[in-house]
Amino acid sequence: MDESLLYFVKSLTFMSDDKALILKLKSKDETALSLVYDKYSAALYGVIIRMCKDEDAAKNLLQDTFMTIWEKSDRYDFEKGRFYTWAYRIAKNKTLNFLRKPNHLIQIADLSVYKDRTEDVTRNIDDLKLKGTIKRLEPHHQKAIELVYFNGLTHREAHEEMNVPLGTFKSYIRQALKQLQESYVTVIAFLMILIEGIR
Amino acid sequence: MDKTYIQDQGILELYVLGELNESEQQQVEEALTQYPDLRSELERIEIKFETLAFEQAIEAPDSVKNALLKEASLMNSKTLPLSYTKNNRSYMAIAASITGLLLVGSIYLYLEWTTAKNKLKLVEDQNKELNIKIDDLANDLDTTRSLFALINNPNTEKYILKGNELMPDAKVISYVNNSEKSVVINTEYLPELDNEHDYQMWADVQGEMIDMGIIDTHQTMLAMNYIENSESLNITIEPAGGNDHPTVSKLITNVYLK
Repeated sequence: MDESLLYFVKSLTFMSDDKALILKLKSKDETALSLVYDKYSAALYGVIIRMCKDEDAAKNLLQDTFMTIWEKSDRYDFEKGRFYTWAYRIAKNKTLNFLRKPNHLIQIADLSVYKDRTEDVTRNIDDLKLKGTIKRLEPHHQKAIELVYFNGLTHREAHEEMNVPLGTFKSYIRQALKQLQESYVTVIAFLMILIEGIR
Repeated sequence: MDKTYIQDQGILELYVLGELNESEQQQVEEALTQYPDLRSELERIEIKFETLAFEQAIEAPDSVKNALLKEASLMNSKTLPLSYTKNNRSYMAIAASITGLLLVGSIYLYLEWTTAKNKLKLVEDQNKELNIKIDDLANDLDTTRSLFALINNPNTEKYILKGNELMPDAKVISYVNNSEKSVVINTEYLPELDNEHDYQMWADVQGEMIDMGIIDTHQTMLAMNYIENSESLNITIEPAGGNDHPTVSKLITNVYLK
């Protein structure tokens, strides 16, 4: 079984939003934190490290993200979306804030450090390439998703980056999601039935 | 923000990606509670992004988890005792309030109970008294009935003993029934004596005076001892408690029987 398929299968089990677990987390249960970490850390780390492209920073940011999840879990509202979405937004904001920090830019500007780091993460860069179902998308759809989801760009930044009008960019995202859905169709159908069943 | 606008402008995608400002986010959340189909559309988008993220997942080094758990545990032990004591304090306050209420309640109930107990005792005493009264009344009624029956009996003879010169105002009505062997007198018109003396009644049987008993003037109707073959009834004034033999000089009245 290749790695992406493994994660995909893993995601099936992870996909069900475990309400009981989240409720335990909200009550500051350390075991719940450990389980939530096991469930979501790899997905979030994948986002963080692709955004900052710096393993050390990504490790700190991941820990920081989970500390915020731990501290602010009482603010998570089931009605406003899935737990992962909430956690993703925290990870994304933390990483963007880190990337905007002046000292980080200085660090980048320091060529010797930058060079070393580039070498250091070269091995990782290959790992950071997107894999799995997204590869089946048309390149411009793939790029659109990558920019907003894994690079943390806003739609406005991303459409400029891709040099297409905002409306066009939005339709790229929507089509990309539609095609992803077709790839996941069986999975999604199964999940929706499951979710409906749970409700 | 209406539903169509949210759908047409791809607002849900922006919402999931966290690109909305606070007021836009609030508007979307309001719309989500309003339209269930919008809510399920959001869930579909979320699941797509989530699936995508899990596909691109990269295991983070264990060191991150260890550091996280250590930090969280440290924070828990730092904040929990505080919140614990705080909670504890509020629990204590709640417990104290409850105890206070219970105490006040108990005192109130105790007082209520004692009052009720006293009232019950009072009622019981009154009840006992009433029962005694009822018994007395029943006895009185029985006596009165039997006396009434005796007086109205055709075999009963009525004799009036009128006071002699010693006591001219005295009058005693006596009812004698030889078949029932009973004597009842009415003492209503017999003057009260001092504490040193009593009236005593005698039956004359062939010249011998036989004691019929002391007359209790507090009772209007009084049964006396019936003496067989009595020829006359006699009342004398004797020392208190009565005498074995009549003091003839103190005879106040007598009547011969038929």
